Amino acid sequence: MDSHSASSASATPGLTQWGWGSGPLAGWAAPALFVALGYYLAARVGFAFTLQPYPISTLWPPNALLLAALLLAPTRAWWWLLAAALPAHLLVQLESGVPVAMVLGWYVSNCSEALIGAGLVRAFVPWPLRLDSLRNAGIFLFCGAFVGPLLSSFLDAALVSLIGWGERGYWDLVATRIFSNTLAALTVAPLILTWASVDVSRLRAAPLARYAEGAVLFTGLLATCMVVFDLPQIDPHTAPALFYAPLPFLVWAALRFGPAGTAGAIAAVVVATIFGTVNGLGPFAGSTPQETALEMQLFLSAVAVPMLLLAVVLDERGRVELDAREQRMQLTHLSRVAMLGELSGGIAHELNQPLTAILSNAQAAQHLIANKSADPEILVEILRDIIAADQRAGEVIRRLRTLFKRGETQFQRLDANELVDEVLGIVHGDLMTRSVEVVPEFASALLMVHGDRVELEQVMLNLVINACDAMAGIAPEQRRLTIRTRSIEVEDGAVQISFGDCGTGFTPEQYAKLFEPFYTTKPRGLGLGLSISRAIIRAHHGRLWGSSIPGKGASFHMVLPALSTRGGSAVR
Amino acid sequence: MGSSRACVSIIDDDALVLRSLDRLLQSRGFEVHTYSSPQAFLAQRDGDIPGCIVMDLSMPGLGGLELQQALARAADRRPVVFISGRSSVEASVRAMKAGAVDFLTKPFDEADLVAAVLAALEKDRASREGLAERATINLRLSSLTPRERDVLGRVVAGKLNKQIAAELGTAEKTVKVHRARMMRKMQFDSLAELVRAWTVTQPPPPAPPQA
Repeated sequence: MDSHSASSASATPGLTQWGWGSGPLAGWAAPALFVALGYYLAARVGFAFTLQPYPISTLWPPNALLLAALLLAPTRAWWWLLAAALPAHLLVQLESGVPVAMVLGWYVSNCSEALIGAGLVRAFVPWPLRLDSLRNAGIFLFCGAFVGPLLSSFLDAALVSLIGWGERGYWDLVATRIFSNTLAALTVAPLILTWASVDVSRLRAAPLARYAEGAVLFTGLLATCMVVFDLPQIDPHTAPALFYAPLPFLVWAALRFGPAGTAGAIAAVVVATIFGTVNGLGPFAGSTPQETALEMQLFLSAVAVPMLLLAVVLDERGRVELDAREQRMQLTHLSRVAMLGELSGGIAHELNQPLTAILSNAQAAQHLIANKSADPEILVEILRDIIAADQRAGEVIRRLRTLFKRGETQFQRLDANELVDEVLGIVHGDLMTRSVEVVPEFASALLMVHGDRVELEQVMLNLVINACDAMAGIAPEQRRLTIRTRSIEVEDGAVQISFGDCGTGFTPEQYAKLFEPFYTTKPRGLGLGLSISRAIIRAHHGRLWGSSIPGKGASFHMVLPALSTRGGSAVR
Repeated sequence: MGSSRACVSIIDDDALVLRSLDRLLQSRGFEVHTYSSPQAFLAQRDGDIPGCIVMDLSMPGLGGLELQQALARAADRRPVVFISGRSSVEASVRAMKAGAVDFLTKPFDEADLVAAVLAALEKDRASREGLAERATINLRLSSLTPRERDVLGRVVAGKLNKQIAAELGTAEKTVKVHRARMMRKMQFDSLAELVRAWTVTQPPPPAPPQA
């Protein structure tokens, strides 16, 4: 990778693997070499896939390779890549004894196909193109794989006729070129485009099982294709059914391996089919070369287009879901941090208590020692208290760190009573400064639930803070928060945790809006607490609701499915 | 310390903090009593013992500010030093308005605590001394006859014997006798001393209404 790569390179890893520097010498050499070498090899493949005895190539990949290279490169580098293909073109065509005029003519038409396709795509999608949305894939397929080959085929056939090479008619040539080039653009270009944007680090991080699945898929696909397309003597009656044999594997690839995997699978089908056909094997053999080529190309194109689009659509949807989940997680985390901000005064109190004890104890010990009046026993007590205070401060920090942390949801077995205790530990300072007395009514039995500790604590914290806020207007000695945990007898069992305040409560009209995002009755509230809390509890397969006697107080209840307390692991 | 039997009462619901403050103030030579809750303090308090109160602002049940009000109602005038783990401007303003000597935010340095305690003890000593002086003067005042009291009021108001005699409808000579007897009973040698003592016994002007 070049040291001064374009700024967008970091945003799209993989796609811009070459640093497109300011000039041909700075980082442009590697792409040029790649294009030249690829063009040469692609042309050799194209020759190998030529139906004998007539020189009709069923798949002409060099143009598709050029198209992909242009799409991957910034527009200002296009001339350079096209120029890089010229030596390869000359080399491979002159080897096969074609007149120089025809060789140059083909170079022009090949370049024109890539330029038309890439130019049209670029007009709609800015560089770099990624086949990660239905829109992008549709534009690529229409412009690059259809319009480009179509338009350039007229030019190509015209040049052939003009130079007078071969004896086939103009329209015959056009038809041959269109399908051969289209098939290549449909199979080779997506393969290069998708694999160029594969994130290597994610590929490396993939579990072994994924690799095994990929290996099984491709082995099965190749074996099926070889049986269907590369064996002689196919009964004409079973042939149509056999065409569908590779489809399950392609669907599998689309479902599980994204556009890149699907492009690979399509390429495998294409290679196996053409290999069989040019060797006179498989269901397409037997007609005239033109008919054979056309049948096969139509079949392969008909398979490639929907499969590719299916893979892109699935990939896009999956990513959208992933984005939504990521966003939900971020929002949950943000509201948690905001809530902890509200608690910061109480948390400071919680930390200042042990700090005061440590400082005063240490200073007392200093005086005792200085006055030579230090009784060793008292010093031992002082040190014991200092250690205890330090541990308490550490515990406050530990609780906070857990809540501040941003991470994936981790479901585990949790004791509901212990969760409530932990939450009360966090808000202890706030309850104190707001003169709120907690009345715990905990079930004596062990109440196990299955959930994410941090998220459930977030919900409880939110309910406790809401309760405290609701009681800010009443006399301090009346501020009582009742927290009740109990197991409820429903099918499979459930655990209910209720938070009851004795504030002003809410009216049915208020309740209707209570769980809506951005609805708040607090002067500085965001109005996200309850809506996020409800989302969290829903994700835990539970319920969160409120009840109120206006003027007497409100209660909020969360119900979570119970886990068997006998150590069972019904839910993992 | 100077005020021999003055005692610092510490109220904090946090046992660790309570013990540490107890040790710290004791190591600095103070006489200390500790209470783990406002209720315990209210149950055991003795307002006649000179001293001051060091208490946490936020405690469960009865907060520091409420306790301060309860003490004021009970005419327990021991000065209060508040300590708080949470600095709230509103709470500190309320505390200071209600007569607190100082408001320390935890964690505080011992120098600040000791300075606040010393100031509180001094305030207590001064107010107790003032109280004692007022009691003495009141006692002496009560020994005056009505006529002597009339004379005293007019002397303090800066009137001459002649004026007093005219106002009371008596001879200047008689006023002189009353005045001499009054000064003897009040045990003052100079007019200045008499005036100072008199102002001490007068009820203070009505305080402005407090929040």
